[in-house]
Amino acid sequence: MTMAMTASQLRWGWRPAAKQERRRRAPVVCSIAIENAQNKERAKLKKLFEEAYERCRTAPTEGVSFSFQQFTDALDKYDFNAEIGTKALHLLFSLYLLSRLWINEDDMVKGTVFATDASGAYVDIAAKSTAYLPLQEACIHRIKNVEEAGIVPGMREEFVIIGENEADDSLILSLRSIQYDLAWERCRQLQTEDAVVKGKVVNANKGGLVAQVECLKGFVPFSQISAKSTGEELLEKEIPFKFVEVDQEQSRLVLSHRKAVAENQGQLGIGSVVTGSVQSIKPYGAFIDIGGISGLLHVSQISHDRITDIATVLQPGDILKVMILSHDRERGRVSLSTKKLEPTPGDMIRNPKLVFEKAEEMAQTFRQRIAQAEAMARADMLRFQPESGLTLGSDGILGPLTSDLPPEGLDLSEVSPAEDMIEN
Amino acid sequence: MTKRYWNIILEEMMGAGVHFGHGTRKWNPKMSPYISAKRKGIHIINLIRTARFLSEACDLVFDAASGGKQFLIVGTKKKAADSVARAAIRARCHYVNKKWLGGMLTNWYTTETRLQKFRDLRRQQKTGRLHFFPKRDAAILKRQLAHLETYLGGIKYMTGLPDIVIIVDQQEEYTALRECITLEIPTICIIDTNCDPDLADISIPANDDAIASIRLILNKLVFAICEGRSSYIRNS
Repeated sequence: MTMAMTASQLRWGWRPAAKQERRRRAPVVCSIAIENAQNKERAKLKKLFEEAYERCRTAPTEGVSFSFQQFTDALDKYDFNAEIGTKALHLLFSLYLLSRLWINEDDMVKGTVFATDASGAYVDIAAKSTAYLPLQEACIHRIKNVEEAGIVPGMREEFVIIGENEADDSLILSLRSIQYDLAWERCRQLQTEDAVVKGKVVNANKGGLVAQVECLKGFVPFSQISAKSTGEELLEKEIPFKFVEVDQEQSRLVLSHRKAVAENQGQLGIGSVVTGSVQSIKPYGAFIDIGGISGLLHVSQISHDRITDIATVLQPGDILKVMILSHDRERGRVSLSTKKLEPTPGDMIRNPKLVFEKAEEMAQTFRQRIAQAEAMARADMLRFQPESGLTLGSDGILGPLTSDLPPEGLDLSEVSPAEDMIEN
Repeated sequence: MTKRYWNIILEEMMGAGVHFGHGTRKWNPKMSPYISAKRKGIHIINLIRTARFLSEACDLVFDAASGGKQFLIVGTKKKAADSVARAAIRARCHYVNKKWLGGMLTNWYTTETRLQKFRDLRRQQKTGRLHFFPKRDAAILKRQLAHLETYLGGIKYMTGLPDIVIIVDQQEEYTALRECITLEIPTICIIDTNCDPDLADISIPANDDAIASIRLILNKLVFAICEGRSSYIRNS
């Protein structure tokens, strides 16, 4: 049968050769036809091969350096159960699928990267077949090429098995899960340390912004953003954040810009006057944005007179000077007041501009009054508890009984009587 | 027939995972003499047989190389393509690591025409004649060159049919194997538990999925080829 086949090939082979000769006189002729000598050589070779095969069959262990016993013993050693760092199976249905597999899902395996191509990398783990690391599983960021994530042929790394390719029994690996875990861990640590991190704003949605911090996407509600700008203006900007909530199980990561900024501006002293612009009007007051943080100007603190409708006095976007009453750093809240800055009560309503100009003076006066009120309070305390061993120094600070107290006692005559203080 | 000692170590083979076969459901019953055990749903290949066949194959290849014969390594699996190319370049033999075009050997006449064209194009590119063409033509020619490079890159120096063909995965390269059988070219093939051992002349039962295992077997064969070649050069 073989002879006939070769003969037919010979016959077929001649025809094109002849035509080609006539047309081109190129030396390209059908090579199958000519090789009689080569055919003989090949037949000889084939015989050698067959002899070798026979030899293998008849003397199966000749020339082999190990014995069958050694082989079976070593089988156990090279059993590729990747038990290093076994984690619990998440999905129950995959139990059936993977029950026949050596490696359980979500095991960490050490593997060597063999080759990379456009959409992933081939990793050799000690298993039946080579495993594949797809591009999107290689890194949390979105990258175009596995090299960017640092995967080069020849490096050994730990991977997590996330699936199996049914067609060719190869496993699908991922680095992403490990990186996610690390990222969440880092966020937790940073939260306990109450550190400030820089994040990039990537998206805006109905309730706030989405910012990327440590490769994780976190949500920033509008209330937690310092009021300078919202939405589109802040996109693609790097701003500092603090962690509010870090919950890996529910995949919740909430950040706050206000807190981070409040940290910076903690130096705003109580009693200082700052310029701010009105952000929004609420029934109970107005939110004024001062230097990045938002403070509440309560309706009762706007003016001495009663105000029925805030909109008549303040409009969003108004610039005005306010005094800081108190600063709650924990919650990033600042309480403001313009009442104190009115030269005459009711000025805010009638003549806001006057308030604006006189603001500094009023603040000064207010501060003095506060200091004196404190001094009065301490003096009172002294009077009622003289044995506490403390006395009032000349600058109003309580200190131990010393001789720098003037012998005739303090001169408290400039201090207005106590009843006026209480009103304020 | 020279009988040399090829350094085939058990630990090395097991470390590379040569002994793992395919899943139990996918086996070919003709492979039963070569399967030693069944573990966790996967057949275990008897490495004694593997070592025997491998040493036999290395001997044959060594003799052939010292007789100055041509080799062709065929391996088109995506994972193995890289290692096939590297092994063949090291052993200075021809290789096919992208798609095996049907009729590459049986229709050698046409393949040779293509190789001619490939050679001409390369010569043109080297001498810089491509710049004299208009831009569009030059672009077309460059594209053709790229195509020919991918498919025929490994056999560009081949002048006739090879004497021995080494095939990496029988399931993948079934067409190649059939062509070699019709042309009566002796073949060495890496067989897994789902393949037919009677098709090839020397079939080495081993794992054809893991890159490490393919690399190991190819390394041994390539080593034998290099040794044979060097003795050929010494003697001639």
